[in-house]
Amino acid sequence: MATSRLSTDPAGAPAGISAMAGRSGRAAVSALQTAVAVVFALGIWEALVRVYGVPIWLLPKPTDFLARLYTDAALIAYHAATTSWTILLGFLLGVLVAVPLALAIVSFGALERGLYPVVVFLNIMPKTVVGPIFVVWFGIGPLVSVFLVFLMCFFPVMVDAMSGFRAVDRRLFFITRSMGATPWQEFRYLRLPAAMGPIYAGMKIGIVKAIEGVIIAEFIASEAGLGYLIMRASGFMDLTLLFAALVATALVALLFNAVLTASERLLVPWARHLQD
Amino acid sequence: MRDTAAGDGAISPARGGASIRVRGLSKTYGRPPRAVHALGPIDFDVAAGEFVSLIGPSGCGKSTTMLLVAGLEPMTAGRVEIDGRPLTRPLSDVGIVFQDHLLLEFRTALGNVMLQQQIRGLDRDRQRARAAELFARLGLVGAEDRYPWQLSGGMRQRVSIARALVHDPSMLLMDEPFGALDAITRTQIRHDLELLWLDTRKTVLFITHSIDEAIGLSDRVLVMSPAPGRIVEEIRIDLPRPRPAHLGDYPEFARYARRIYEIFESLGIYRFR
Repeated sequence: MATSRLSTDPAGAPAGISAMAGRSGRAAVSALQTAVAVVFALGIWEALVRVYGVPIWLLPKPTDFLARLYTDAALIAYHAATTSWTILLGFLLGVLVAVPLALAIVSFGALERGLYPVVVFLNIMPKTVVGPIFVVWFGIGPLVSVFLVFLMCFFPVMVDAMSGFRAVDRRLFFITRSMGATPWQEFRYLRLPAAMGPIYAGMKIGIVKAIEGVIIAEFIASEAGLGYLIMRASGFMDLTLLFAALVATALVALLFNAVLTASERLLVPWARHLQD
Repeated sequence: MRDTAAGDGAISPARGGASIRVRGLSKTYGRPPRAVHALGPIDFDVAAGEFVSLIGPSGCGKSTTMLLVAGLEPMTAGRVEIDGRPLTRPLSDVGIVFQDHLLLEFRTALGNVMLQQQIRGLDRDRQRARAAELFARLGLVGAEDRYPWQLSGGMRQRVSIARALVHDPSMLLMDEPFGALDAITRTQIRHDLELLWLDTRKTVLFITHSIDEAIGLSDRVLVMSPAPGRIVEEIRIDLPRPRPAHLGDYPEFARYARRIYEIFESLGIYRFR
């Protein structure tokens, strides 16, 4: 009994550290596995295209378009930056309108009855059909893309924010009222933090939609951006550039996802158990 | 102002508890065609520093009584006076504990307790010191930085007791605070609350449906009838404090308990043959 105590106790603290090392080690292993799988898939692609001699204007080899990513880095980076800015503006606009509107709809019954059905109807309508209307209103340019991104990400953020604002137990307001809380304090200390988890869930869906929206908008009405670059490459049957632009689009999407996840870990640390 | 009254921030305050005076208090929910008469009219007093329990069957209006005394629900008729002053808005010199801990899931244990300081705008360092002392008294040392979902049910309820006391209120309102806990945890936390109360002598209005808890903690027990609840009996509990885990040690305990059972039977709450 005594010896078993002796043998486990000193191991207690290092066990915690090694468990943490184990977690990051496991993450490294899974990243390595992903990398191996990607390299393997690209290798098969490369081999098949070489063996069957597929022409480059039909299907380029991974080495072709990865090289293009390097040689045309400045061009692709310019368009990727334009697209990223558009996403950022439209997405921020969407969140900044969706969250206060969700709070208003949850707070006032009249708004819920009057405004919410309109918003639902607008959401059911495919957003891409609004593109041509925006072209008429705003002309060819970044504004069309920003507004389409806004429309795409607005609704998922609003719906999740509404459920977050609603989720607060009524009796918690008894406790804050007995503390003498002002309406602002109730929002600041109760409603807003309670809604942060759901708002992030909505933003994660919203950002995927936003990226879809920006590419479509750039297809139909723009003079810059990855969607525009893809359309132009397609017109010139420059499939190497097209695939390079596709990879760049995926990288932009990954970047936005990573920023969201990182900021969530920072701002909503309590929500981590909900994801585990 | 309140902070100076709390002196050096020790758990034992210089100030005593507040007195409660309730007259003709009643509550009806809804409007006439579908009105539900939930409570009263009831009259009772709680002296400053007294521990009084309201016991009664589910739905008899005990919780409503607590919310009315706290000024958190509008009363239909009657009067509530705190320290002789009529209650017209939510009582703020109070700590409230509900059956569910009602902690904010996005705040740590300490963060939940410090909500009082933030909303009331009290002195941060002094409140922190008080919180630390309460955590020590309630066996919560080491739990400060944990989130509610990382704590056991008993620990969560202890945190919500700390939250209700950290600002040194003169009154504690508790609505079945141990109702969701297992019997062993309940007995321990009951004892810890009694010791804390003996030190602070805050006025406590304690809502319960446990006869053991009511007798184990109270100076007086008010027994309520089924809805619309009225106070049908007042029992003074003369047992030495602190009271033991096994209340059966006192022959008087059995007498008090039998009395409450008899009242419940006469009201048709219990039907034993």
